[in-house]
Amino acid sequence: MSVLVDRRRLTQGGASALVIGALDSITGRALAVSSDELRVMVNGGDVGKANIEAYTKPFQAATGIKVSALTDQLTLAKLELMVTTNSVSVDVFPMSQGSALVAAEKGLLEPIDYSIYKKEELDGLFDFAKQPFGVGMVIFSYLMVYNTEKFPANQPRPTNWADFWDVKKFPGVRALVSGRNGGEGPWEEALLADGVAPDKIYPMDIDHIFASLDKIKPHIRKWWTVGSEIQQIMQDKAADLVQSYSGRAGLAVSRGAPMELNRNQSKLQWDYWVIPKGSPNAQKAQKFIEFATRAERQAALSQLFPEGPANRNAFKLLEEKVARKLPTHPEYLASAVPINMGWYSERGADGLTNTERLRERWNEWILR
Amino acid sequence: MSIPQKLSLKPVGLAVPAFAILLAVFGIPMIRLFLTSLDAPAFSLANYEAFFRQGANVRVLFQTIEVSLVVTAICVIIGYPTAYLMASAPKNLRTALIVLVVIPYLTSLLVRTYAWIVILGDRGMVNNVLLELGLISSPLPLIYNRMAVYVGMVQIMLPLMILPLVTVMVSIDRSLVAAARSMGAQPSAAFWRVFFPLSLPGVRSGSLLVFVLCLGFYITPAALGGLRDAMLSTFIAAQVETSFNMARTATSAFILLGIAAVMLAIFGLDLAGTQGRAVRPMPESSWKPVRLLSAIKRFSNELAASYRAKRWNAKLYQASNIRRRTIARAVFVVSVMLFLLLPSVVVVIMSFSAGEFLTFPPPGISLKWYRSFFDDPSWTGAALTSVEIGVAVTILSTIVGTLAAYGLNRTSPKLRSILTLLLLAPITLPSIVVGISAYLGLLSFGLIGTKTGIALTHSLGAIAYVVVIVSATLASFDRRLEQAAMSMRAGPLQTFKRVTLPLIRPGIMGGALFAFLHSFDEVVKTSLVSGLSIRTLPLKMWENIRHEIDPTIAAVASLLVLLPVLWLAAIYVTWWRSRPSAEHALPDAAA
Repeated sequence: MSVLVDRRRLTQGGASALVIGALDSITGRALAVSSDELRVMVNGGDVGKANIEAYTKPFQAATGIKVSALTDQLTLAKLELMVTTNSVSVDVFPMSQGSALVAAEKGLLEPIDYSIYKKEELDGLFDFAKQPFGVGMVIFSYLMVYNTEKFPANQPRPTNWADFWDVKKFPGVRALVSGRNGGEGPWEEALLADGVAPDKIYPMDIDHIFASLDKIKPHIRKWWTVGSEIQQIMQDKAADLVQSYSGRAGLAVSRGAPMELNRNQSKLQWDYWVIPKGSPNAQKAQKFIEFATRAERQAALSQLFPEGPANRNAFKLLEEKVARKLPTHPEYLASAVPINMGWYSERGADGLTNTERLRERWNEWILR
Repeated sequence: MSIPQKLSLKPVGLAVPAFAILLAVFGIPMIRLFLTSLDAPAFSLANYEAFFRQGANVRVLFQTIEVSLVVTAICVIIGYPTAYLMASAPKNLRTALIVLVVIPYLTSLLVRTYAWIVILGDRGMVNNVLLELGLISSPLPLIYNRMAVYVGMVQIMLPLMILPLVTVMVSIDRSLVAAARSMGAQPSAAFWRVFFPLSLPGVRSGSLLVFVLCLGFYITPAALGGLRDAMLSTFIAAQVETSFNMARTATSAFILLGIAAVMLAIFGLDLAGTQGRAVRPMPESSWKPVRLLSAIKRFSNELAASYRAKRWNAKLYQASNIRRRTIARAVFVVSVMLFLLLPSVVVVIMSFSAGEFLTFPPPGISLKWYRSFFDDPSWTGAALTSVEIGVAVTILSTIVGTLAAYGLNRTSPKLRSILTLLLLAPITLPSIVVGISAYLGLLSFGLIGTKTGIALTHSLGAIAYVVVIVSATLASFDRRLEQAAMSMRAGPLQTFKRVTLPLIRPGIMGGALFAFLHSFDEVVKTSLVSGLSIRTLPLKMWENIRHEIDPTIAAVASLLVLLPVLWLAAIYVTWWRSRPSAEHALPDAAA
């Protein structure tokens, strides 16, 4: 049995006292592999291949530093195990915003050295992409996708989340992202659907979220948990109106699915490049991240894979045709809602973070 | 007096290697985790209170038990007759059927779950056919509900029920049933009073394995079930992914283990506890249904008994009766096999797709996804690594597990129960928790990121499978045979080698098979202890399936299915070739 963890799983939550106390007796043996080789994790599949072409290969060519690209991903649990037991075997890896915030709070990440960045590159990076613990790697979005056969151009089409919730005006089979992890869920969408203004979403009212979800609950055919699920649903035309990752939706459309992406009220989320504390090659890792967040490299990636660059200057190097496929195209940004993970990791008086609160509430809600 | 004493001391010693591995790789860190869940050194039940204070946790706990019990019951209901028919089939047919039962296990769990979506989905095979035929106007809700969860889980668990049952049933002496019949017992009585009690160890082992494994399930319920069909492991996994609060995670895991312990105590953990049955006379008291009615029935039965005894011989060869029954049996077995094999068949067909992604039916036929497998050294390398590790795990856990089962079989029931529960812990606890323990355990030996480390981690679960399956065979093993050998001056080792081993071989083979398959499909623990430096085939498949639905996955899965089928075919060909002399002799004689 395995844990299905999607790369996009937002993760968030409280500092846990991972047994550090209980562990230290067996952590005497340091296992960290020190070598000249820089070990960079790049995720698997097509994204992994694109990351290798856009980042690791050119970095090796430009600096002479040998890079070993690991087509894998790292979960929060594994990172914590590696760092607390001093057995770090990776130098750089991509981490979701939520996980990165938790990891940073737990002190598992190396601080980023911004002194080696050129000013123009720094200016190009979105503000949220420049964190003490990590630099923005890629931006993607959750957006609404509808079937063009069900909703043809000459008839009204759903344009916002209120429309998605309106089952009378827009009848059809629906799918939404599951909220089982707390950090990822249709929370912002539920508020938008109930008329909350995009700039008034945070701080989120959890009661309000679930009151809104109550209305749509009977009409959701599938609450999906991983990207491959929603991609399958779109490819099979098994639903008419779904929430999807931008990348998965783009892929389904490019393979001929009769679906249209609605960019209005899309929710922006991103991954960071981070360095685990105790990385054997931290200095080279800093250099790698600086290299990989340059506008030119990010543009190269966007040409290989339709994900948004964290460096705005990359758009100057991209054709409009390519740029339009990216979730951070300036035009889409205007109506997009950037996710505020800071709110998710806020801790209440009871010691629970909002992520944990959402997760517990979700667990109650699904069994009701 | 001294010899029996020595013997009674020895057996538990045989379980030492198994427990040494368990303790070193998993036990000590597990104890630490247990202390963490108790907030050691302050010691409080705060984490457990926090768990039960949440209504959702309690409800999902009951739901987890309910789903596991229902799946176990369905597996018994379908598995028992299947195993019965398999056990009474001729040896070669039986071997073939066993291979067919095991084949689904070669298709990775993830891929099989995916195949069910292709079959049952709103735009899946079944709905498409019905829509095409005009029998329905909109898709039937075959998926995203509890029913689909049961279908998916039973398909995964059924082989684990059938295999221990078959191994036990094969070793039951059929002449006992014939004897009962010859003495006038009705077929049903002969079955219920002779065969069924003897097969109970198999039912127990199978149910135990299925139930315990179901407790930790969640991928299948998440993929095939509806919103409410969550399992406790769903909650645990979400917790690990988002905040990784070790104390809380450990608490949930130990509650799950506690549930397993309670259920096992109720339903009989004493896996090998019936070996005395053959010696003891059947106690009359164990057979007491509705008193009066049955007394009358029994009386009339007794009257007819001598008549039936006379007719028994004649009836045995009544052709029409036999043929009808044979057809009914064949239909039943074939439908069970179809159910088991359907997902694998779908995957095999999709693997020959000419399209860019997995669809059924495929848009065209090509071998390009096989090429993409063989041309990519990262795939073939991973496959090789997996085979290496799998073979090591099989050898280690079969030897160690068989010894442990043998040792446990000869200890006091109480000790046996506790030790069995400990051995089963690695397959009862959620993988992620076992993985974390194994990581911490292996770290102290410097084995993270080594094949040895992965093999040891896999052996934890594999030993549990071997112990359960071998125990079942041992339970129906007549110890007087050993005593007879000993009385004729055979040493203990010689007795084991020449008497015990050949008799329990089916159980050992079954255990070894599952040990290999367990290793071959393991992802979560492997991913933790591989230290990012070793790639096994399931890890590679997992990476692939998370990111894209690429038919290479189907090609890999199909290779795993096709290879044993080809192997089976090869065996049959050689078997066929070696027969001609006998085959030819018959027609000649007839002519």
